[in-house]
Amino acid sequence: MEDPMTSGKEPTVRLDNLWVRFLEKTVLKDITLSLWPGQLTVLVGPSGSGKSTLLRSINRLNAVPDCRTEGTVRIRLHDRSIDVYPDSFPLSELRRRVGMVFQTPAVLPFSIEKNLAMPLRVTLGLTGVALSERVEWALREVSLWSEVKDRLGEPAPTLSGGQQQRLCLARVLALEPQVLLLDEPTASLDFRAAASIEALLSRLKKRYTILAVSHSLSQTRRIADRVCVLKEGQLVQEMAGHHLEDADAFQQLMDAAF
Amino acid sequence: MGALLVATLLLGFLLLRGMKSITPALFFGETPWLEAITGQTPVFEGIWPALVGTIFLVLLSSIIAIPVGIASGIYLTEYASRRQRAFLGLMVDFLSGTPSIVMGLFGFAMILLLRRTLAPKAQTSLFLAAFCIAMLILPYLIRTTEAAIEGIPRHLRLLGPGIGFSKWQNIRHVLLPIASRGIFSGIILAIGRASEDTAVILLTGVVAHAGIPRNLWDKFEVLPFRIYYLAAEHRNSSELEQGFGTALVLLFITGLLFLMAFLLQRRAEKRWKTR
Repeated sequence: MEDPMTSGKEPTVRLDNLWVRFLEKTVLKDITLSLWPGQLTVLVGPSGSGKSTLLRSINRLNAVPDCRTEGTVRIRLHDRSIDVYPDSFPLSELRRRVGMVFQTPAVLPFSIEKNLAMPLRVTLGLTGVALSERVEWALREVSLWSEVKDRLGEPAPTLSGGQQQRLCLARVLALEPQVLLLDEPTASLDFRAAASIEALLSRLKKRYTILAVSHSLSQTRRIADRVCVLKEGQLVQEMAGHHLEDADAFQQLMDAAF
Repeated sequence: MGALLVATLLLGFLLLRGMKSITPALFFGETPWLEAITGQTPVFEGIWPALVGTIFLVLLSSIIAIPVGIASGIYLTEYASRRQRAFLGLMVDFLSGTPSIVMGLFGFAMILLLRRTLAPKAQTSLFLAAFCIAMLILPYLIRTTEAAIEGIPRHLRLLGPGIGFSKWQNIRHVLLPIASRGIFSGIILAIGRASEDTAVILLTGVVAHAGIPRNLWDKFEVLPFRIYYLAAEHRNSSELEQGFGTALVLLFITGLLFLMAFLLQRRAEKRWKTR
């Protein structure tokens, strides 16, 4: 595969000297990181190292009164480039363009269809045929259409864990994002469901810029094009290419990093 | 288990003592029932005016308290700063600890103040009683709304903001539907409390044999007062039996109001789950 880092492509997301503090605690220290389209970057690190905070600083989900963010986060949306901080760009559009999926499938206690249709109706004002076409497209995108097309009116919580997580992914994709932030998307799933999500991500990474957090090193090696190691709020190592192919070398590098 | 036992004993006792006095005469006295219901002839002996008064009072106080209570609960959980929340929370606790007779005195004092200032003709009335009852049930609604919204798991709370919803869109389309059952339990509690209180209404407009109120500013009768009145002032055993019968009717009316609230909630839930 062509390496976007060396092929002259512009990064979709660029973090420069990013610092994030909650009250007096510094959670992220001087992070500089770029994310390229067509590349799946996985963020690993011990618990409390700031992985989720880093993810949330990209779509400004850390925006709470106690949080202070310094540095720049720049996102390229089609033909324009926006600065996430200061908060001059509309939050609603930013979060649609930078979709996020959480560890626990955030399925609403509504029907399968409404889980997808309601956000589209509320944020984009879609109705009628346009709405149902977008719902179907999103479900096909996550390979869920054939499994649920005959029971769209059934409650979404009746789906299996893996299906629920794919539904969450479909809900985000329906809003046409360019960047996907995935916070341990398979952590609450069994092996089989996790494998289906992994396969899906490998397919989606060709069209989206993806930054995922993972706690599983074997999974990281399977899906990542590039791995960034975060430790005590600092980016201590980046790996790509042949480092990921050799299991022993990868393990040694991870042992050293952790 | 204990609650079930107590409820069964209470219901059994009321049925035993009150069932035989449940006759058309209990409701309408000597007045023909059709004329009583259509308001052509006033009812002096039966509990019909008190029954209508109870429904008016509960509905009116619910109309005042439910929107304010739910809005306050939302404000406290979603908009208030930590300091505002601590202060306002204390005020809500203070309000919930206020004895109902004090709330009645508050209403009475308010009328005295109005008579001396803005409205010399102001008098205790159905509206004043409903307003004071609304103050009494407000804390139940605020606290249950707060608890229901706070009980929503973090991953569902973050969902709305994560897909670009504004704060209000998240409240309206995600948080409120999920919290609706909890909020509904607060509404049930509030209706129950509104339909049984006697102390507030004693000082804010209830009058024995007032008849059906003609408007919001009229005197009124309610079932709890009728029960109190019959229990305290009965002249013979059949009047006391009427008191038990009236208690049964009050229980039935409250149950009916619960059922109405339940059906409304279920209908709304069914709608927002699919559409």
